[in-house]
Amino acid sequence: MIRKLRLPRLSRRRFLGGTAALGAAASGLTGRALAQDKVVRIGFLAPLTGPVAAWGKPGLDGCRIWGEWVNEAGGIELSDGAYQVEFVSYDNEYDPAKARTGATKLIREDGVSFVMMLGGDTWPGAQPVADKTGMLFSTLLPSDLSPDTTTLVAPAEVHPVYNVTGVEWLAENHPDLKTAVMCAQDDALGLPSVATYLAAFEAAGIEMQQEPILFDPATTDFAPVVTKMIADNPDIVCLDTAYADYVHPIVEQLFQQGYDGQIISCTADFYEQMIEKTSKEFMEGFIFQFPDFDDPALNQDFINFPDPNRFYEVYTERHPGEWGAVSWEYASIMDLWKAAAEKAGSAEPDAVLAAMKEGGSGPHAFGTAQWWGEDLFGIDTALVGNWPVVVIQDGKARIQEFRSIPDWYDQHGELLKKHMADYGQMWDQRA
Amino acid sequence: MDLLLQTGLNAVYAASYMALIAVGLVLIFGVMGVINFAHGELFMAGAYAVVALYADLAVPFLLAVAGGLLFVGVLGLVMERALFRPLRDNPLGGLVASIGFLLVLQALAVLLFGVRMEHVPPATQEIIAFSERVRFPLQRLWVVIAAIVLLSGLWLFLKKTRLGWALRASAQDPEAAALQGISINQTARIAMFIGAALAGVAGALSAPLVSVNPHMGHSVIITAFIVIIVGGIGSLEGAVVAAIVYAFIHTFVTTFWDGVIADIVGLTLMLLVLIVKPTGLFGTADRA
Amino acid sequence: MLKVLGWLVLIAALIGVPHVLSFSQQEILVFLTINVLLVASYRLLTLTGEWSLAHVVIMGVGAYASALYSRHFGIWVPVSAGLGALTACAVALVLSFPLFRMKGFYFLIGSFAAGEIIRLLWKRFREPFGGPKGLKRIEGMPDLDLGFYTFDFFEPVAYYYLCLVVVGASLWVMWRIERSPVGLTFQAVHWQDKLAEAAGVNVRAWRTLAFVIASGFAGLSGALLAHYIGTINPNSFEVEHMVFVLTWAIVGGTATLYGPILGAIVLTVLNDILLREIGLEQWRPLIYGLVLIASVLFLPKGLESVVQRATRAARPAEPEPKPQEARP
Repeated sequence: MIRKLRLPRLSRRRFLGGTAALGAAASGLTGRALAQDKVVRIGFLAPLTGPVAAWGKPGLDGCRIWGEWVNEAGGIELSDGAYQVEFVSYDNEYDPAKARTGATKLIREDGVSFVMMLGGDTWPGAQPVADKTGMLFSTLLPSDLSPDTTTLVAPAEVHPVYNVTGVEWLAENHPDLKTAVMCAQDDALGLPSVATYLAAFEAAGIEMQQEPILFDPATTDFAPVVTKMIADNPDIVCLDTAYADYVHPIVEQLFQQGYDGQIISCTADFYEQMIEKTSKEFMEGFIFQFPDFDDPALNQDFINFPDPNRFYEVYTERHPGEWGAVSWEYASIMDLWKAAAEKAGSAEPDAVLAAMKEGGSGPHAFGTAQWWGEDLFGIDTALVGNWPVVVIQDGKARIQEFRSIPDWYDQHGELLKKHMADYGQMWDQRA
Repeated sequence: MDLLLQTGLNAVYAASYMALIAVGLVLIFGVMGVINFAHGELFMAGAYAVVALYADLAVPFLLAVAGGLLFVGVLGLVMERALFRPLRDNPLGGLVASIGFLLVLQALAVLLFGVRMEHVPPATQEIIAFSERVRFPLQRLWVVIAAIVLLSGLWLFLKKTRLGWALRASAQDPEAAALQGISINQTARIAMFIGAALAGVAGALSAPLVSVNPHMGHSVIITAFIVIIVGGIGSLEGAVVAAIVYAFIHTFVTTFWDGVIADIVGLTLMLLVLIVKPTGLFGTADRA
Repeated sequence: MLKVLGWLVLIAALIGVPHVLSFSQQEILVFLTINVLLVASYRLLTLTGEWSLAHVVIMGVGAYASALYSRHFGIWVPVSAGLGALTACAVALVLSFPLFRMKGFYFLIGSFAAGEIIRLLWKRFREPFGGPKGLKRIEGMPDLDLGFYTFDFFEPVAYYYLCLVVVGASLWVMWRIERSPVGLTFQAVHWQDKLAEAAGVNVRAWRTLAFVIASGFAGLSGALLAHYIGTINPNSFEVEHMVFVLTWAIVGGTATLYGPILGAIVLTVLNDILLREIGLEQWRPLIYGLVLIASVLFLPKGLESVVQRATRAARPAEPEPKPQEARP
C-alpha cells in the first residue's frame, strides 16, 4: 500500500476550499445564501507542527468533519437565526508564548466565540488573555484547572481520574490478580496518572510490587524498563498514561521477554498494530479506556455523541491510520458547546458557559455528567460521569461496561487525594 | 541471576545501535570537520525507508534494510555535494546547513507520512530463549550482528585498503593529504556515504523495535553526542568503546534504579570525562 | 548631523511601530524585542570565537531565578530581574571551568551537554523548579504610574516600550564594550589566539569574561520573558530554541552588532507572520529549513553584507567594492 505517499490531505483541502469559495460567489445573490452568511467562528489553538502535533492535528481533522455535518444540517440555531460554523486554527507549537499570541489573534482579530486548546504547557500562556477578554476556553487536561481559571472548562475527559474505572472492573472480574507493577514517563501527563492508578490499586486491594518506574520522555529502547518490571512475576502490568510511542514498544518487549499476565493501560491507540507485533492471544484481555467509535455499545440511548459509528467510518476513510483518542474529543467538546449555545440562544462566552453549567450537569459524550472538581482542582469545571472500560477481545476493542467515576470517588476520594498530594499534583501544590 | 543476564543482553543491543550511530557521526566529523546535526534524522530516514519499502510495499525486510542503507547513504552524498562541499571552509556554516537539512527531513516525513507514529510489522518473532526470563529476540540480534560486521568491515577498510588510508590521511591533515594527491572530494564522498549509511542501517533495522515518528531522531542525537564526547570526538575506537560503556551503565542503572536517574548518571559521566580529559577517553589531536 | 537625524527617525519609528500592527503582531513584537537582546548577547560571546549551545538555557536560568526570587522572597520584580541576570552570570562562571578547557566543536558540544544537565535538574527537582510543568503564575511587572500616563505592563504595547528601553540600554552597553579595549581584546582572542597568548593575554580569562557578560544579558532577556508570559517550563529552553538563535545569528551575520538583530527580525516576520498569513502554517518547518540552507549557501556573510553593500553603493565617494569573490 502506497496510500501515504500521495498527499491527499493537502490537495483535498485546497480543492474543497476552492469549490466552497466558488459556490459562495455563485449563489451570493440568493436569499438563502444571505441567511447562511451568518457565521460563528471557533478557535482551535493546539500544536499542529512539532513533536506534540499528534495531540492537536487529528483533533482538528475531527472538528472539520463535525463542522461539515453541522453546517449541512442547517448550522447552529441561535435566537437570531441559524449560524454556520467555521474553525480557525492557530499552531501554538506547544509553546506558551505562541499560545498567548495565538489566543490574542483568535479572539481579538478573528472574532472567535470559543477557543479549544490541548492545554498543558500552553494554557498558562493563554490564561492572561482569557482573563482579560472573558473568553471561554476548553482544555483536554484538567490539571490546568484551578480556582482562578473561571472561564476554562474540561468537558471531554477528566484525565486521569477515569482510569479508576478500568482498575475497578479488573478487580471485580479477575479477583485472583493481586500484584501489580507500573511504569510511566516523567512528565505532566504521567505523574497525576501514576497517583490515580496507585489510589485505584489500593482501593481494589491490589498490591504494588515495586515503586512505579519513571522513564524520561526521550526514551526509545524499553527493554531495560520491561526487564525490571517483570522481574518478580507480577499479575498485572500497568502502563499508566503512556503515549502510543511508548505503549507499543513496551508491549512488544513484554511479549518478547515472555510476560503472560494482565496488562492495563490508559490508552491503546492503534492496538491492531500491537496485535500484529505480538499475537492475538497475547493481547486478549488488554484493558484500556478509549473505545473505537464503531463499537455497538456506543449506540445506546444515553450516549450523546451523535452517530459515532459513521463519524468513525468517515474519519478513518479520510485519515487512514490516524484514529485515536483526540480524534473525537475536540468534536465532542463542540457538541457540548453547540447544545449550550442553542440553549442560551447566543454564542457569547458568558451566556454559553452559564447555559453549559446550568443545573450542575451536562451532556457528556458518554452520557449525562456532573460538573465536578472542587476537591482536586479547586473549581467545579470538569465534566465527570460515566467512562467506558474497554477490553480487547478476539482482536477487537469492545466496551465492557460504562462505570461511574463519581461513585468510585464517593467511596475512595480520600485515597486519591492522598496519592495526588504525594506526587505534588493537587491544585494548591502546583507552582 | 536471570535479571542480570537479561539486562546484559539489553545492554549489548543498546551498545550495538549506539555504536553504529556514533561511529558514523565521528567519521563525518573526522573527514568533513563538521558536526552533523542531522545525524539523528538520517537514522529516522532509514526507519522511514523501511516503512515505505517493507510496511507499505511489502518488500522483504532485509532487502528493505539494504534499501534503507543505500537511500540514506545517498542522502549523505546529497548533503556532501549540496551542503558541505560549498561550505568546506566554513565549518559553522556546515553545522547550520545540517540543521536546515534536519528541519527539511523532519518536515518531509510529516508531509509524506503524517504526524503519527508509523506501524512496522515484525520481520520475525523468533526468540532465542536461554531460559524462561532470559530471552533475546532475533530482530535485536540482527542489530548486534550488523554492528559487528559493518564496524569491523569499516575497520578493515580503513586499515587495509588504499582508499581507507587516504581517508585517514585526509582526516588527520587535509592539506598534506591533498599534496599527496588524495582527492578531498572523493574522501569526503566516501566518508559521508559510509557515515550516513551506518545511521541509516541502524534506523532501518530498529524500525520494527522502536516507535517510528518524524521526531525520533531527537533523542538519538543527544545520546550520540554524549557517546562521542566520552569517546573523544575524533576517535572511531573511542566511539565504539564509549557506546559500550555508556550502554552498559545506562541499561543497568535503568533496571536497578530508574530511567531518569540513568540519564543524569550518563550526563554526569560525560561531564566528569570533560573535566578530567577534555578531549575524551581516546581523543588526542585538538582539531578545533 | 545626518547621523543624529537618522537616529531620531529610527527612535520615532520604534516608538510608532506597535500602533500600526494588529493585536497579535504586537505580541510577536514583544517576543521579538526580547529575542533581539538574546541574539545580540549571543553575538558578544561569539566575538571570542566560541559558539555555545547553552545560551538559551542560560536565558532560562535568568528566567527561573528572577521568577523564584520574586515569588519566594517577595523581591520587587524589576530588582529580581536584575538579580536573575546576575544569577545567569554566576552560573556561567561556574560552567566556564569545565567548558573552557575545550575549544571549537568540543566547546560547542560540551556547552550543549551542560545545558541539558541544567534542564534535567529543572525537570527533576519539582521543588523549587516545578518539574516538567515548570512555573506558573509568575508575578508580572508592576504598573508604572507617571502621573499623566499609567503603563499597564500586561498590555503588549506598554511592555514593548519597557523592553525597548531595557534592550536599547543593553545594546548600548554591549556596543561600548565592543569598542573598548576589552572588546578589542575579545577579537584578538578570536583571530590571534596564539599571538594574543604570546603577548601575555590570558586567553581563557578573556573568554570567560565574554561568556559571563553575554550570559548576564541572556539572563536579563529570560527575566523579561518570564514576567511577561507568566509561565516558563524546561521545554521553553530546549535545544530547538537554541537552533533558532543560532540561525538568526548566522543568517544575519555576526560581523556587526546589527547583523544578528536583522536576522532575528527577518526570520521572525517570515516564520510567524508571512507564512501563517498565506496559509502555509503546517509547511513552516520545511520552508524555514530551506531558507536556512539557502542563506548559508548563497549569503555566507549574512544579511548584514547586503546592507553593507547597499550603504557603500549609496556613498559614491568611496570606490566601488570589488565584486564579491566568485565561488572557487
